[in-house]
Amino acid sequence: MSLRTPLRPLARILKARQKGENPDTIERENIRLRHEEMHDRSRLRAEGRLLVLGVFFIAAFAVVGVRMGVLARSEPAEPHASGPRNAIMAQRADIVDRNGRILATNLQTYALYAQPPAMIDPERVAAELVKVFPDLETDELIALFTGKRKFVWIKKRISPEQMQQVHDIGDPGLEFGPREMRLYPNGRLAAHILGGARFGREGVNSAEVVGVAGVEKQFDDALRDPANNGAALQLSIDLSVQASMREVLYGGMKLMNARGAAAVLMDVKTGEVLSMVSLPDFDPNTRPAPLIRGLASDSPLFNRAVQGLYELGSVYKTFAMAQALDEGLIKPDTIIDIRGPLRMAGFSIRDFSNYGKELSATDVLVKSSNIGIARISELFGGERQKAFLKTLGLIDPTSIELIEASRIRPLLPENWSELSTMTIAYGHGISGSPLQLASAYSSVVNGGTFVTPTLLKQTEVAPGPRVISEKTSKILTEMLRQVVVRGTASFGDVPGYAVGGKTGTADKAKEMGGGYYEDKVINSFASVFPAYDPQYVLVVTLDEPSENSGLKPRRTAGWTAVPIVAEMIRRTAPLLGLRPEVEPEGRDEVLLTSN
Amino acid sequence: MSYLENNLKTIPTGWRKVLHLNWALVLLLSTVASVGFVMLYSVAGGSLEPWAAPQMKRFALGMGAMFIVAMVPIWFWRNMAALAYIGSLLLLVAVELFGTTGMGAQRWIDLGFMRLQPSELMKIAVVVMLAAYYDFLDIRKVSRPLWVLLPVFLILLPTALVLRQPDLGTSILIIAGGAIVMFVAGVHWAYFGAVFAMVVGLVAAVFSSRGTPWQLLKDYQYSRIDTFLDPSRDPLGAGYHITQSKIALGSGGWNGRGFMQGTQSRLNFLPEKQTDFIFTTLAEEFGFVGGMGLLALFGLVLAFCIASGISNKDRFGALLTIGIGGTFFLFFAVNMSMVMGLVPVVGVPLPMVSYGGSAMLVLLLAFGLVQSAHIHRPRGRL
Repeated sequence: MSLRTPLRPLARILKARQKGENPDTIERENIRLRHEEMHDRSRLRAEGRLLVLGVFFIAAFAVVGVRMGVLARSEPAEPHASGPRNAIMAQRADIVDRNGRILATNLQTYALYAQPPAMIDPERVAAELVKVFPDLETDELIALFTGKRKFVWIKKRISPEQMQQVHDIGDPGLEFGPREMRLYPNGRLAAHILGGARFGREGVNSAEVVGVAGVEKQFDDALRDPANNGAALQLSIDLSVQASMREVLYGGMKLMNARGAAAVLMDVKTGEVLSMVSLPDFDPNTRPAPLIRGLASDSPLFNRAVQGLYELGSVYKTFAMAQALDEGLIKPDTIIDIRGPLRMAGFSIRDFSNYGKELSATDVLVKSSNIGIARISELFGGERQKAFLKTLGLIDPTSIELIEASRIRPLLPENWSELSTMTIAYGHGISGSPLQLASAYSSVVNGGTFVTPTLLKQTEVAPGPRVISEKTSKILTEMLRQVVVRGTASFGDVPGYAVGGKTGTADKAKEMGGGYYEDKVINSFASVFPAYDPQYVLVVTLDEPSENSGLKPRRTAGWTAVPIVAEMIRRTAPLLGLRPEVEPEGRDEVLLTSN
Repeated sequence: MSYLENNLKTIPTGWRKVLHLNWALVLLLSTVASVGFVMLYSVAGGSLEPWAAPQMKRFALGMGAMFIVAMVPIWFWRNMAALAYIGSLLLLVAVELFGTTGMGAQRWIDLGFMRLQPSELMKIAVVVMLAAYYDFLDIRKVSRPLWVLLPVFLILLPTALVLRQPDLGTSILIIAGGAIVMFVAGVHWAYFGAVFAMVVGLVAAVFSSRGTPWQLLKDYQYSRIDTFLDPSRDPLGAGYHITQSKIALGSGGWNGRGFMQGTQSRLNFLPEKQTDFIFTTLAEEFGFVGGMGLLALFGLVLAFCIASGISNKDRFGALLTIGIGGTFFLFFAVNMSMVMGLVPVVGVPLPMVSYGGSAMLVLLLAFGLVQSAHIHRPRGRL
């Protein structure tokens, strides 16, 4: 309003001039008034604003104060007993076997740490601690406790007895932090399947448990996912069967002087692995460090059943036989020329011993004639052979739910020549793992449909794509039965369970390349039982076995792997719910003759 | 617009300035800092090392700096405002560059005797710059869009740099501090109303879009918001600080557990116990009474700033005093709310109490400016 007042009001100026005063003073006076006016207005506004701000400040103070009061009134809960601890307990889900028995669970333990500033007598504490934990050094402890550090880890896991002893030292500078520890109550039993776990990120009050190998790593996210609400992971493994398999395999490995051994027991219809053992093994509770030097395959951490790629030898003859039968190239009683040695591309194929001039197709398998199966493989050739082995899953990595498996790719000949075709027919020049062998055998004996190996318990499994006809599957199973009845695996017969199978004795390839060892072999026996209605496939592979009870060491599978399998079946078949039954008679004549 | 230079006669000079210092404010600040020393001594388990002693040294250094700043006439500082702002901005850029070339942490610059966080300096530089801007600006132009946009830009430029570090807490304080100066300077209500409406609209949009095809945030971001609203959802993860600090406040009760008797902080339940969460220790050891006592001290500091600002007829001095007081208020209000679970954990220290050199030093420099404005305020009418 006043801003509109003219700075030089004409009337006043005229009046001033009349009085002889300087009219400029009027202007100056008006400018000053206007300035003050403006200034006052801006101050007034600023004060208004300040008032608003003040109200806001007071409101904020009130909110903070009220909140403080509410919190102060809240129940003074002891921090130790609060919610987070319970949350730690249920952090990682259990792993159970197919019958719900615990394979891996969690245990509440404590970690021991020190807060040197709160310590009363560091030297006494150090001396007492060394009594409880003999692996600690007194000098190092004293250095830690008297140094600049405010916080020192002493032990990541201690037992209740040790905890009590540390308690009894009675120094306020020693503290315990709760830890959820992964516990494998069955020790070594399923070590390679479970893998193991370690602490991840660690705090004083809790530590993350992360899987490092096996299913613990494969299913790490699912086991830790709170959304699963702690639901246990159920494996296809049967704990009882696993225990007896491990025991027999361990004894057999010692008896046969083998370096290592692997066994896989698989349900032929569902592909469920009921048991898988690799020796030597380890205790996942105290998982050893990986080897720094030497071969990884010598480490107990190495899972021979999955990671071990071996040229498995004559057990592969079954696949060549299956293909030739299924394609109608031969019949079980087709006569095969086995005169040897069979020369091909500067290489000669021989048999273990001389089986005469000719054998029926069935007897090629029963006697395990390399020349015979090589002749048969000529009928279908390399290209079809490769395609067939691919449908059995012997060319690609297996899809089993183990973190280690996906990297394991079978070794194949660079150039699939005519000679390769022949050697692959009897299992040389191609490598595979015992697990792959078991799943391929399952596929050919279960009626001829592909099975996917799995470690998770399945409720219902639809049959996979057809690999061979049902009839071929039946014939083949009966041939395998004949191998046990009158062939190379005669030690494998277990009365009442009609075991069938195929042996394999392969020279061991040198680990660093460059040919084969003279006196080191890989022995395998791939068995199926009962042969008249196949339920299970059991594969045992021995690394460098040598049976020394005779005059000279015996290194054929019939002497080493086969008796072990027989013993395993004798013990585990009742656990699997199979009853000993009398074999239907005359099956072989029906199936193995053309007319 | 300043007419201070015309009014020199009544303004104290030489050693008389010392008498005109706002001694009450000095006393208050010392008290607050002492509370900090006591708490740092306590969380270190009854030891001056590693926190209390360095904090005392920095406080002494900061106090010296405050007196020197206070002795220099306020118009000198006004003339330096733009320079200080540009300097802080350059330091922020420098930190950004050195951070990416691997000189270590990204937030600070090593001065030898201490590490300086340019972002801390920036909080004050923005207030000084805006106060000088509104002192220079004709009052009638204050609410014109172009003249509103310029200070908004002055605020947002350093905010963007700080956000890149990333330091959400400091960015919020810079924006809020600048907004307080603009508000007191008399920028029209409508601007604040519009910004407020936009923020509310954005929040509403974010929440209502949840679960729809046009969802604005990622699922994990919503999950963080959920955790803020209900920390017990994730007591070991994002909600851990808050859950523990609430327990500490509860365990303190009315009178507290007594000096050095706190469990939460001493047993290492709380991370950041010597910095952002130091208030929890105080509340646990001295209870509601202790917490309110500290709050009252802060309130008095703020009240002195406002009183000094109101009585100061120099526009720059008044705006500066209110702006710095407001920034100080934001510091402790955000920190306390954060500790008590009223706002998300954004990483704002408790002023003068939390362990940390830059924040302490910069705050004392700022209070030096407040003192200078107080000493050199115009007396009497023009």
